[in-house]
Amino acid sequence: MAASRGRAGERRVVISGMGAVCASGVGAQKLWEAARDGVAQIRALKTQRPYDGRIKIAAQVPDFNPADHIEPEVLPFCDPFTQFCVVAADEAMAQAGFKRKDISGPRTAVIIGSGIGGMTTIEDGIYRYYVEKQRPETLSVPKLIPSAAPTTLGMRFSALGPTFAIGSACSSASQSLGLGMQMIRQGLVDKAIVGGAEACVINATIRAWEGLRVMTPNLCRPFSKGRNGMSLGEGAAVFILETEESARARGHEPLCELAGYGTTSDAKDPVRPDLEGASNAIRLALEDAGLEPGDIDYINAHGTATHANDITEAEAILRIFGEYGKVVPVSSTKPIHGHALGASGGLELVITIQALREQIAPPTINFLEADPRCPLDVVPNVARKHKIDAAMSNSFAFGGINAVLVVRHAG
Amino acid sequence: MTDNPQDKSQLVEEIIEVIAAEGMVDRSKITPDASIESLDLKSVDIVMILTALEEKFNVYIPMDGSLQEAKDVKSLIDAIADHIQKEREKQ
Repeated sequence: MAASRGRAGERRVVISGMGAVCASGVGAQKLWEAARDGVAQIRALKTQRPYDGRIKIAAQVPDFNPADHIEPEVLPFCDPFTQFCVVAADEAMAQAGFKRKDISGPRTAVIIGSGIGGMTTIEDGIYRYYVEKQRPETLSVPKLIPSAAPTTLGMRFSALGPTFAIGSACSSASQSLGLGMQMIRQGLVDKAIVGGAEACVINATIRAWEGLRVMTPNLCRPFSKGRNGMSLGEGAAVFILETEESARARGHEPLCELAGYGTTSDAKDPVRPDLEGASNAIRLALEDAGLEPGDIDYINAHGTATHANDITEAEAILRIFGEYGKVVPVSSTKPIHGHALGASGGLELVITIQALREQIAPPTINFLEADPRCPLDVVPNVARKHKIDAAMSNSFAFGGINAVLVVRHAG
Repeated sequence: MTDNPQDKSQLVEEIIEVIAAEGMVDRSKITPDASIESLDLKSVDIVMILTALEEKFNVYIPMDGSLQEAKDVKSLIDAIADHIQKEREKQ
């Protein structure tokens, strides 16, 4: 159906470039190919210090040498979460057709989400202080602050506009995209560098995640019978937002339009997902995009493969989409790239955008058989050609913060 | 040891003790046919119980369907005992 585009008088926002670093390596295209081809990037856990926990697998960035990407004068200030973010941002800027200083100045915002920030620096500092009886390394504080990622990007690109980190756990990246879009629509800025970054696949953090019983000791299988949790991931995804007008004026073909954003808070339980909050975020994102449920052709689910999330998410989709919710392709790509927490919404949006551009619904892998409590078409195990004009990406976080994004073809 | 009923009943007894201590539930309320709601156990209480069991029995118990779908004390304890026994067999 022909839906009205956005709201009258507001500027339309497009995504001009994107970049990603995650378990599939450096590059958004590698992430998409792994997701499309259903190749899991979850491997045997590697830690610098011996790990005595029970979970022995994770989706870690492989063979990453930060000095290959980041200047020696910048690198000492970069925790791994910032390193991933810088590399993803360089890729996004290049794809957007911008050189380093092309979008400098006060009209560019930098908003990067992270669940925790510099967890490696925090953990190393604590280990050095309590175990090795040494002081934490000198640059610990500027490295570990969650705002280290956006401010490092700001310095790199001389962006002088509103710059801050968003900390809403697993909704962080999606909220950063949503807020960047709103700021451009309202005319507060002209461009925004947005996304998410996380690097906390490290001993004490994994052990803490184990305690919550949401980690699978074997295989992450979202929406499937026999699922028993997620695998931790890490990485970053960064996007360049601008108005459709400005992209066209400089002859740049955007990747897609960022058309809708809905966010809500459950305000109920620290860890248990909630049907009201999740479904309302989906509804708000559709309204914001000016679309009907039937206009969405693909949904990239939050799909953590925990027993509770997947049931609640299926119920939320069915509540808003009705009978169509049972046939629209919905996949969780977390068994590919792991759950990268504050970066996850960004990594999943990269996949959602490529699904839209290549007209392919990526699969939910490791799927055994349908759980009657998740009556969705989860594109089990094998990708599918599918006509996609608009697509949705869901992120639901501990604490009860929900964020949903909608993308569609630009122009 | 899986098939030894005495071992199983001792295991069940130990699990009940952990539920009482970690879930802060009156021991006398924990009867096989009591509903989970009657114990007023929240999701976080279940996590605390599983963590204590992990330390007591040296096993990892993921929160899968068998635990989440348990409606009464018997099915919850059976699911936990099943996990513990499977893990012990692997060790």
